[in-house]
Amino acid sequence: MTPAADGFAGHSPFITTFLNIGNYVTQQQHSSWPHWWAVLLCATAFPLIWVGGLVTTHDAGMAVPDWPTTYGYNLFLYPWQSWLFGPWDLFVEHGHRLLGAAVGLITLATACAVWRAETNSLVRGLAIALACLVVFQGVLGGLRVRLDARWLAQLHACVGPAFFALCVTMFVVTSRSWKNMSRTLPSEGSSGINSAASLALLLAYLQIVLGSFVRHASWDMLPALFRATVVLHVVLGIGLAGQASYVAWRVLWRRTSPRPQQAAAIAVVALLAAQLALGVAAWTVNYGLPFGWGQHGWLAGHLVTARGAWQSLLTTAHQANGSLILGTTTLIALFAWRESWNAGRESAPSTAVLNGATS
Amino acid sequence: MGRRAFFSGQPANWMSLRQGLLWIFLVGLTGCGTADPPQFGLNRLAMRTGEVNEEHRQQIADILTAMFGTPDDPFMARAEQAANSDYDVSQDAFLATSGLDLAKLQMAAGSVASDRSGTGRGLFREHCVHCHGIGGDGLGPTAPFLNPYPRDYRQGKFKAKSTELAAKPTRDDLYGVLERGIPGTSMPSFKLLPSQEIDALVEYVKYLSLRGQTEVMLVNALFDLDEGEPIPLDQEFLVGEILSPLTATWEEAEEYVIHPPEPPEMEPEESIALGRELFQSAKANCVKCHGTLALGDGQRDDYDEWNRAYVDLKLEPSDIAAMGALPIRNIHPRNLRLGIYRFGRRPLDVYRRIHAGIAGTPMPGVGPATPGAEGTLTPDQIWHLVHYVRSLPYDELSPVGEPPSEVTRERL
Ligand code: HEC
Ligand code: HEC
Repeated sequence: MTPAADGFAGHSPFITTFLNIGNYVTQQQHSSWPHWWAVLLCATAFPLIWVGGLVTTHDAGMAVPDWPTTYGYNLFLYPWQSWLFGPWDLFVEHGHRLLGAAVGLITLATACAVWRAETNSLVRGLAIALACLVVFQGVLGGLRVRLDARWLAQLHACVGPAFFALCVTMFVVTSRSWKNMSRTLPSEGSSGINSAASLALLLAYLQIVLGSFVRHASWDMLPALFRATVVLHVVLGIGLAGQASYVAWRVLWRRTSPRPQQAAAIAVVALLAAQLALGVAAWTVNYGLPFGWGQHGWLAGHLVTARGAWQSLLTTAHQANGSLILGTTTLIALFAWRESWNAGRESAPSTAVLNGATS
Repeated sequence: MGRRAFFSGQPANWMSLRQGLLWIFLVGLTGCGTADPPQFGLNRLAMRTGEVNEEHRQQIADILTAMFGTPDDPFMARAEQAANSDYDVSQDAFLATSGLDLAKLQMAAGSVASDRSGTGRGLFREHCVHCHGIGGDGLGPTAPFLNPYPRDYRQGKFKAKSTELAAKPTRDDLYGVLERGIPGTSMPSFKLLPSQEIDALVEYVKYLSLRGQTEVMLVNALFDLDEGEPIPLDQEFLVGEILSPLTATWEEAEEYVIHPPEPPEMEPEESIALGRELFQSAKANCVKCHGTLALGDGQRDDYDEWNRAYVDLKLEPSDIAAMGALPIRNIHPRNLRLGIYRFGRRPLDVYRRIHAGIAGTPMPGVGPATPGAEGTLTPDQIWHLVHYVRSLPYDELSPVGEPPSEVTRERL
């Protein structure tokens, strides 16, 4: 057993089942429907996160005071003219609800498709988890409005990216590359980035949670606490950039990494570089130039414009990009875990038993 | 919160049932309820310098709530007007004396929302509170990062005003600073907000200032009281001696607007040359702070009044932190060669700045302190300074390597 593989080999039968899908698929007809639904799900969940961020950026959460109705109308029947041509805050909030509802339906469709086509109990479990989480998230959003509770908005903002990460997981485990993985086990064995990738994933999510504290800082948050949060957010951001770049390098350095993992490795580095720049930019358009840069030269004329296009765009982009980074690190980690489990299975004599346990 | 009649159009029992279920779900989810409604905090600096005891602190907090209401409910206009027998003054009398517009205050106060027409509520909490703090004390969560610190409104001191140093700003001054923002600081421009929202915010800034000043007046009033004697709660005292005089200063601000005479008629170059001379002169003494080259490199170890208050207390940094205040910071004179004017860039604005000085900062005025009196400089001389200062960004600095003093001498 390679040292990196011992994280999973011989562990809980659940993980074993999950990582072992390939063995079944080789004997089974592969349906691509679940995968296409998962693609659609990811493609709609990400814009939803963006629009949700816009709601926070513009503090538009209470632009519609009722829920699940919109000013007394059924969500889908609210006159589209009043929505499109009404006030901006209402446009954003109602739009977020409509998109949220669409994602909810797509999630349920995905879950059904997966349930019908997949036999693996963990993939099926994931389908159920996604469906439950989307309902939970919708209710959280509703409660945020009904109770006018800003801390619920923050919770809602943290669940969103977690949901997106699960969407990405569904996208991965229904993909052909994933299912083919047991057949294409690289000759040199596991990539050995199992724990490094897990750490990157953990940091990526932690960053989102910390970021939510910055964005949802309530009026009574102590200045010292806010400062500590921001400093931690910056330090961890740099840490995450380092960690994820290391993981990406390990993935790419070894030519035989699965294609999607390679693509994600390149993407995550680009996204992180953008994210660091976006972070500084988001700070600047909200609070002025950091580090006293604003005392010098032409920078001294920098003016923050509240609710300006730059403020809205850059702040929301920083927030949404966080979810993309979470998504790509999730993908990298999934393949790393899978591989390390596969490698462990190759060398562990008890594999047959584990496989037996899942059938 | 939750008191609003959002759901009024629907059958009440069914709604309350649903709401009850939501609550059970929520409490089960998190094990905690909603936060208490926000309250204004006490001015801890004033309490400390005035050596106010616990009893009087409580009394001052109560009086302030009775007079000004809460962050959700200015002047308690929405609360059930539980007749408070302790006070022989009604809420309405405080409101009327304050001269403030309740409708505007209600638009700015409370939690954030907007209605179908897009009209916002809770504007202060939406746009300002994270910097200026719920009570306008400049202690919002973001404050430690910002330089200069967000303004503490409670002294009623403002920099970007058209009026004499000791006078309050006019409504237009405050409107202007919200609209323009303060470049080079984190104070944003709110020009994209509808004008009635800016109006409401201006009213709320005045409200917080008036409240903050009242608090200090109450603390000062304690000196006239015997040990253990409570603060009087009658109309004569609270309205007559405290609120009325304060409101008057705001209401008469218009009378103190600085109207400079026409600039002297001469060639711009001539005026600029005279201005340059004055700038370096001992009389105007601009160089003391702004430096001979006007790079803002003169005296850089001074404080603005908000920081000086803590310097004067001679506290350890840890004590300052324990008071919930921010670390003491120096104020830096402006580098006038950048051509960045924080408090208005028109010649008229710069004139007013040089004439009156900048309230709350060490920057002194060189015009007469009161209209009609004699100032350090004449209006013509102030105009020369204005022209010189405004020419500085286009004026080339010394070539690299040459000692500035020599260059300066050559140029003058
Ligand atoms: C990002 C932080 C930030 C936000 C948000 C902010 N301010 Fe400020 N504000 C500042 C800072 C910093 C100063 C002090 C600038 C200085 O002293 O040069 C200031 C100064 C002021 C002043 C004093 C201007 C003067 O003439 O002296 C007023 C009034 C003011 N702010 C009102 C508001 C209002 C009203 C809002 C919300 C609509 C708001 N501010 C939002 C940071 C902020
Ligand atoms: C005691 C120190 C001091 C002296 C003397 C002084 N200044 Fe200043 N000046 C300051 C400080 C400090 C500021 C920055 C204030 C702030 O940003 O709050 C300032 C700011 C300014 C500004 C910028 C105003 C704006 O809108 O941004 C001008 C113009 C200016 N001073 C001109 C002068 C002139 C002309 C003189 C001589 C008549 C002078 N100052 C004398 C300390 C001084």
